[in-house]
Amino acid sequence: MHASDLAESFPVVHLDDDALPATRALAKEGLPGLVVVDDDGGPLVVLPASQVLRFALPEYLEEDPRLAGMYPEEEADAFCAALEGKTVRELMPSKQFLPKHDRDRPVVGADDTIIEVAAQMSRQHSPVVAVVDDSQTVVGVITVHRLLGAALGSS
Amino acid sequence: MTADTWQVVAAVAVFVGAYVAIATEVVHRVKAALIGAALMLAIGASDGDVAFFSQDAGIDWNVIFLLLGMMVIVGVLKQTGLFEYVAVWAAKRAGGRPYRVLVLLCTMTAVASAALDNVTTVLLIVPVTLLVCDRIGARPEGFLIALAMASNIGGMATLIGDPPNIIIASRSGLSFNDFLLNLGPLAVVLMGVFLVLIRWLFRSSFSYDAERAAAVMTLDERRAIRDPRLLRRSLVVLALTLVGFSLHTALHVAPSVVALLGAGVLVLVSELSSDEFLEEVEWETLVFFAGLFIMVGALVNVGVIEYLGEQAADAVGGRYLLAMTGLLFGSAVLSGIVDNIPYVATMSPLVDDLVGSSESPERVALWWALAVGADLGGNATAIGASANVVVTGIAARNDHPISFWRFTRYGLVVTAVTIALSWPYLWLRYFVLA
Repeated sequence: MHASDLAESFPVVHLDDDALPATRALAKEGLPGLVVVDDDGGPLVVLPASQVLRFALPEYLEEDPRLAGMYPEEEADAFCAALEGKTVRELMPSKQFLPKHDRDRPVVGADDTIIEVAAQMSRQHSPVVAVVDDSQTVVGVITVHRLLGAALGSS
Repeated sequence: MTADTWQVVAAVAVFVGAYVAIATEVVHRVKAALIGAALMLAIGASDGDVAFFSQDAGIDWNVIFLLLGMMVIVGVLKQTGLFEYVAVWAAKRAGGRPYRVLVLLCTMTAVASAALDNVTTVLLIVPVTLLVCDRIGARPEGFLIALAMASNIGGMATLIGDPPNIIIASRSGLSFNDFLLNLGPLAVVLMGVFLVLIRWLFRSSFSYDAERAAAVMTLDERRAIRDPRLLRRSLVVLALTLVGFSLHTALHVAPSVVALLGAGVLVLVSELSSDEFLEEVEWETLVFFAGLFIMVGALVNVGVIEYLGEQAADAVGGRYLLAMTGLLFGSAVLSGIVDNIPYVATMSPLVDDLVGSSESPERVALWWALAVGADLGGNATAIGASANVVVTGIAARNDHPISFWRFTRYGLVVTAVTIALSWPYLWLRYFVLA
């Protein structure tokens, strides 16, 4: 079995999309993460849901999580309001989401085997990887549940 | 060691090459220092015995372990939430008025820099400053530049406050109290001037918005303190460590031993895991220091420093006021161009040759001129001091990039004013009134 056999369709987010609806879709559809594609449609980065949280948080709260405790409760409850009016492109560089090397992207080739997909997922600590064809276009994604289901079913 | 001519030439070439690499940042400074150290060993300008065990020409373990000890202490203090508490409390006391907020944050940074070390202090202060600026609606760039400078001025006051002081203390044998009594008063005066100066320098950052200012009042600083018991214990150990520093000469223990004892006791009483108390240890900085010491030690070993020392002594010829003036202004200029740590590591053996074992005030003034020039000169540019590099790095990560030239625009003014005020202090104290 190859990655292309496991690939599922999955919403992708473009750099110029609004960050708030993208995050909302993630919550509403229970997605494990977001695939962000560049201007050419190639996968730029795959963000696990936990990393998408960082869209809404100021960097200084990550530098010093103790500061988060000082916010009044009503503001803390509405922390996602910070995403209002921001595009994904605006959030990417400062959040250092962009991988330094190509090998750090959770991306697999359509012809990769299940164990190659598992190795990549494990290496990147990512519950979702993008599957790309020879032209580097996203043909779908593989979630960790889908992968495990296939692996356990075939063992 | 009797070195061949080719070894001397090669050692100088390696040293200059590494220095240029560090100053221009063509390669990472740690990489440059390590490659430089390895080359010095490869050409025989130093060897294992010299590099690791020589007091004059090897790694200065006192400096390394003093830094390590203080980093561990700060690592534990960080877990207490003390910095966040005090910063937000100060911002609220200032009523969210930007200039008052900055004055209190700078004062707090200067004091903490003197008591801990300035690099780790800014690491802890900058995130909470960003939060405060966010709340009061102030652009944070000016605040961050001012904090870096305050940390360099405050750090000048003590032996442990700024890495160049640690190197100078280890080489000169000057004590914690020597630094406090000789540089402390100057640091206090300069901080006062600096706080007035920033009112003008960063005036565009001080627009007051009552509605935004009210937002800072809603922050609850008490929630930063999660473990009051740890806070109490940490403050007691820190106080004892500072007392230990002030008594280290009487107790016949090196400052590095005091720092390690403080760190050890704090680790014991804090019950934190090693991951937690080692969190603030900047291994890169420690490795950088080690590489640097091997490189400078190699120059000592092949006789370059001795030769330069003789030339300098001939040039000075007993005119110590001229030497002090040259050292103060020269150090200020060079520390702006090169990180002040490698600069002081190189200059210390030279100044040591000039001062010798003399205790005459006008000779010892050379050490103070080196410290003041390097510490304050570090304010001149974004790469002049480690604290500046740390602050601009965090600023960039938070989408508030501070360009080299932006920092330098303010840095040159602050350096010029503070150095100009330091010269009469050194002249009066060590040449006129001594």
